[in-house]
Amino acid sequence: MKKVEIFDPAMCCSTGVCGPSVDPNLTRVASAVYSMEQKGVDIKRFNLANDPAAFADNKTVNQVLQEKGADALPVILLDGEVVKVGEYPTNEEFAEWLEVSAEELTQKPCVRVSVKLD
Amino acid sequence: MYTRYNPKQHVETPYLFFTGKGGVGKTSVACATAVALADQGKKVLLVSTDPASNLQDVFEIELSREPVGIPSVKNLFASNIDPEEAARVYREKTVGPYRDKLPESVVNQMEEQLSGACTVEIATFDEFSHLLADDRIFTQYDHVLFDTAPTGHTLRLLSLPTAWSGYLEEATHGASCLGPLSGLDDKKDMYQKAVESLSDGEKTTLILVARPEESTLIEANRASSELGEIGIKKQMLIINGLLQSYDQNDEVSTAFYEGQQEALTKTPEELKKIQTYSLPFVSYSLIGMDRLRQIVSDEPLVEFKETSEDTELAPLSELKDVIDDFSSKNTRVIFTMGKGGVGKTSVAAAIAVGLTEKGHKVHLTTTDPAAHLEYMFQNGTVNENLSISSINPEVEVEAYKKEVITNAGELNDDELAFLQEDLESPCTEEIAVFRAFADVVERSEQEIVVIDTAPTGHTLLLLDSSEAYHKEMSRSTGEIPESVKKLLPRLRNPEETGVVVVTLTEATPVFEATRLQDDLKRAELTPKWWVINRSLYATGTTDKVLKARAASEKQWIKKVQEELADNSALIPWMKEVKIGYDQLKKFVQL
Repeated sequence: MKKVEIFDPAMCCSTGVCGPSVDPNLTRVASAVYSMEQKGVDIKRFNLANDPAAFADNKTVNQVLQEKGADALPVILLDGEVVKVGEYPTNEEFAEWLEVSAEELTQKPCVRVSVKLD
Repeated sequence: MYTRYNPKQHVETPYLFFTGKGGVGKTSVACATAVALADQGKKVLLVSTDPASNLQDVFEIELSREPVGIPSVKNLFASNIDPEEAARVYREKTVGPYRDKLPESVVNQMEEQLSGACTVEIATFDEFSHLLADDRIFTQYDHVLFDTAPTGHTLRLLSLPTAWSGYLEEATHGASCLGPLSGLDDKKDMYQKAVESLSDGEKTTLILVARPEESTLIEANRASSELGEIGIKKQMLIINGLLQSYDQNDEVSTAFYEGQQEALTKTPEELKKIQTYSLPFVSYSLIGMDRLRQIVSDEPLVEFKETSEDTELAPLSELKDVIDDFSSKNTRVIFTMGKGGVGKTSVAAAIAVGLTEKGHKVHLTTTDPAAHLEYMFQNGTVNENLSISSINPEVEVEAYKKEVITNAGELNDDELAFLQEDLESPCTEEIAVFRAFADVVERSEQEIVVIDTAPTGHTLLLLDSSEAYHKEMSRSTGEIPESVKKLLPRLRNPEETGVVVVTLTEATPVFEATRLQDDLKRAELTPKWWVINRSLYATGTTDKVLKARAASEKQWIKKVQEELADNSALIPWMKEVKIGYDQLKKFVQL
């Protein structure tokens, strides 16, 4: 099983809606990650704003940051190796790395039932 | 007539929240209550959540987050929760350990992200609920009094526990906007408890403070119903500053008295159902322990010698001089700033009308959540060169949510649910309002824009976030509206933008305005004018009580003139609430 790790820049929220403008790319990545998680793919995201330890402790990521600074974010690791720096992967790239079809990342998962407790 | 407020008889619960439109005297009433209860032998903690804390002015002692004993009053302790400070402490706790481990640019990015409005709100809320949920605080003190910030802020703060409790349950996908406080979920029990304490009538009383003025009564009514909906059912109303008698030979005094009585007859029906008490209008200002004790004693109507009686004042400008200045310099964006209740809305409206009369095309708007522009122009004609709008946070949030969801493109049900969850966060309001604000300032290319901004703390957060916003844009890949890009440089350019600080001739409003000016200067904005509103001194009253109060105003006028303002103007107290274009026109032609 392949393992994907995404080291995000400091963000208020993972979809980016809290930023000064919505970055459609972030919304796409958030959805793709969510779909992959649902399929049981080993994929993790770390946000610099609330998980700085992950950035400091991961030698590979720390190295990239020491060399290139904050502009290097996001950093994407596949099985511990850097595969992408400074931008998010496309759905096709995710698919290639994880050996699934790109359609699977955008297809509708089953409807989630939300329960509101008052 | 109302029963005179007496804390010893009328306070029934351990937690007391004071709320009301800014400038109604919440701080004074809270302090007098605290001192009276402490004098009775009760152990009392007085907490300020006001970004511009007034408590330290009143007690003449430096306050911090940790409760300190007030030296001159046995059993009385006070603390101040400064939202900005709480956020700073939190930020340092998060970022500090990584200064050596990660490169500077990375650390800077973290700090920048943690400087947003979210962090301030979360950090404040955290402090606030800590006091409400902590059993030790509850057992240690007989009473805990919250001298809360002006109403808009109060409402947000108090409505947070419920809003966030709901949010935490629904935020199934993890960090999101609550990211800045990771581990927040662990505190869920504490927040739950805070909510329970608030809506427990045995524990919490909401004390609505108003003046015998229609706008403050309307505001109290709004707060009452809004907080009632959240579950705070036990409420009490205090009418502060009720003039007890008047001098028939003095026009101002008669008008002052009649104005108050008239306003009281217009008390909203819902508000009339609440238990109501009053405090008298007194000739002295409420600074120092002896005066705080006097106001809630059986004999409040005594005289204190004011030190400023013999002060001589230099001649002062009037509001029309302010208007002439802006008109001749062709200033494009004009802000009136000040704590809620000082009359920024009226001053903004009067400036807008004055500039319209001078032949300019003017747009008047407000970002004040407790806006009453509509109220001011509810009758009468409006000149065709004057347009009016308001930025309503709720409407803006809805529009923003819609825009985000539309721009997000094709989403399945699950993705939509995910995005909607993030849009439920408190950040969304800040962003949405900010964008609307930028759009209004953009209009200044075609017309003069007069903006009546929200109360101090909120205003600063707004401007602060405009700065963070500005920096953020350089690395964002999303679409940035042109208006937003131009905003900050425009606000900082004195050729384009004029700031008017509005204050009253009393200690607290002057202190607050001073802090506001300091904060603005840090943001590289220097106020052009100070306008001192509702001055009894400027009326020339001969009534005994009012005259004593007028004399006590002189020290504050002098301070503004000599120490604080580049230019200052004085507006006399007036009976008529200036409603409608024609009345405002008369007002600026004085």
